[in-house]
Amino acid sequence: MSHIPGLVRAELRKLFTTRLWWIMLIVTLLLVGVSLGFLMAFAGVSQNGSALPALDTAQWTEIAWAGGSSAGIFVMILGVVMMTSEYRYQTITGTFLVTPRRGLVIVAKLVAGLIVGALFGLAVLVFQAVTVIPAVTLAGGEFSLSASRVPQISVGILATLALYALFGIGLGALVRNQIAGIVAAVVWSYVVESIFTAIPALHGVGKWLPAGAAQALMSIDVDTGLGRPEWLPAWAGALVLVAYGLLFAAVATATTVRRDIT
Amino acid sequence: MAAIEIKNLIKSFGPVKAVDGVSFSVEAGSVTGYLGPNGAGKTTTLRSLLGLVTPDSGEALVNGERYGTRPRPVTEVGAVLEATSFHPGRTARNHLRVLCTAAGLPDARADEALEQVGLVDAADKRVAGYSLGMRQRLALASALLGRPRVYILDEPANGLDPAGIEWLRGFLRHLAHDEGAAVLVSSHVLAEVEQTVDNVVIIARGRLVRQGSLAELTSNGGEVTRVRTAQAADLVPALEAAGAAIERVDDGLLRVRGLDAETIGRVAMDRRIVLTEVAQERSDLQKVFLDLTEGR
Repeated sequence: MSHIPGLVRAELRKLFTTRLWWIMLIVTLLLVGVSLGFLMAFAGVSQNGSALPALDTAQWTEIAWAGGSSAGIFVMILGVVMMTSEYRYQTITGTFLVTPRRGLVIVAKLVAGLIVGALFGLAVLVFQAVTVIPAVTLAGGEFSLSASRVPQISVGILATLALYALFGIGLGALVRNQIAGIVAAVVWSYVVESIFTAIPALHGVGKWLPAGAAQALMSIDVDTGLGRPEWLPAWAGALVLVAYGLLFAAVATATTVRRDIT
Repeated sequence: MAAIEIKNLIKSFGPVKAVDGVSFSVEAGSVTGYLGPNGAGKTTTLRSLLGLVTPDSGEALVNGERYGTRPRPVTEVGAVLEATSFHPGRTARNHLRVLCTAAGLPDARADEALEQVGLVDAADKRVAGYSLGMRQRLALASALLGRPRVYILDEPANGLDPAGIEWLRGFLRHLAHDEGAAVLVSSHVLAEVEQTVDNVVIIARGRLVRQGSLAELTSNGGEVTRVRTAQAADLVPALEAAGAAIERVDDGLLRVRGLDAETIGRVAMDRRIVLTEVAQERSDLQKVFLDLTEGR
């Protein structure tokens, strides 16, 4: 296992010597920025009986801060591309020539994915800090780390994004086709998970999905007007996320180790 | 122990037997040409050697072991498989540096390898802008990174211009004859490797057709030139006087050994003899190869 650090550095180098990562970073921050914009615009506006908290409240900060986890889809796509571009451009051949123990390559990619996901998480948190804090302060509120539970949500965002990168890599190793992988990631994230996590009646299933587990990790306990969500406790959410990560890693390794590379 | 050893290798893809019982070996200090038409099973053999394809049975060994048994294979074996295996958005230098990082080699090896293949000026260009010939050179550079003693090259001359092919020939000969490396190079074009290789292995439809040293396969009693003339009676003694051994095929057609076409032409000109045909007979190697490639 002694080569792992070198292999992880090689994987990071692969990512950072092409353009995709900063394009994805810009897109990610744009999306987070747009949803923050909406949350600011509609702060304190009540609609159909449900009201978004006002901009100067701790609850608003909590909801806004937690919005950072929506970057998960982009990190997942990045993970899919980190894996599938090796097949798309056949660089997998050179990769396996240098490291014939393919399991090590997969492990290195997964670790690199965790690191990249966490780095994206950091970027999102910095972006949120420079937008949310001034917005709350300007609205006359007081930005309180403890009242709005920012530290716990931040940990949740970092863990969620790191693990979504891992899912992406596992998914990519499984399907190998780049387009299929990206479509699967989008469908999973925007269709399957949104349905199961948005509708409280389906939370029984949704809380076991990665997005539900991520919500649990952040312990978002805000009534969105559809009823109070019932997530797992935070520790269980973390365990579920880790279990998904390991599951994907195992599947990725098993499907890659013996396959002929032609 | 041979540097490369293939023993009764068999590999099928579904119903297609890609390689069907091939055996041969490559010694250090020599270049072996692995020849055959497209689809003959060359690439499958080479990929089996490199651990990318798992053979159904038989063995494909490098330095007596399966590829990847020892920890840092790129320091033992350099491989060129396809000139297309690059991320188009990455520069050549970064491509090689990624491989260096994974292999535990210093980044400086990337620059040295670029210099060896003559790509220094284009090192910081994205591979997307590379010609096929430049990609071949980059592929070769990646094989050189670990300073291996065994080279496995799949169609490395594809896409090279004539000057590039000439350069490649010199380079492979240098690796084998000066540095003592074992070189296995595949091609579907005999002429590309004919002047480079010491030994030849010919494969068709997954089966071994012929193997031996280039000298063995090309010796058909020396070079033979076919000469046609209406004045054979005058030409034969003149050529014999110049040292040729002559076989008369019919009244007008001679098979001449021991003289090259130019000398034959001069002898005929001196005697004012008209030649209606002067042609080099194909060597056994070329015949074998053409039968295989044109026979279908």
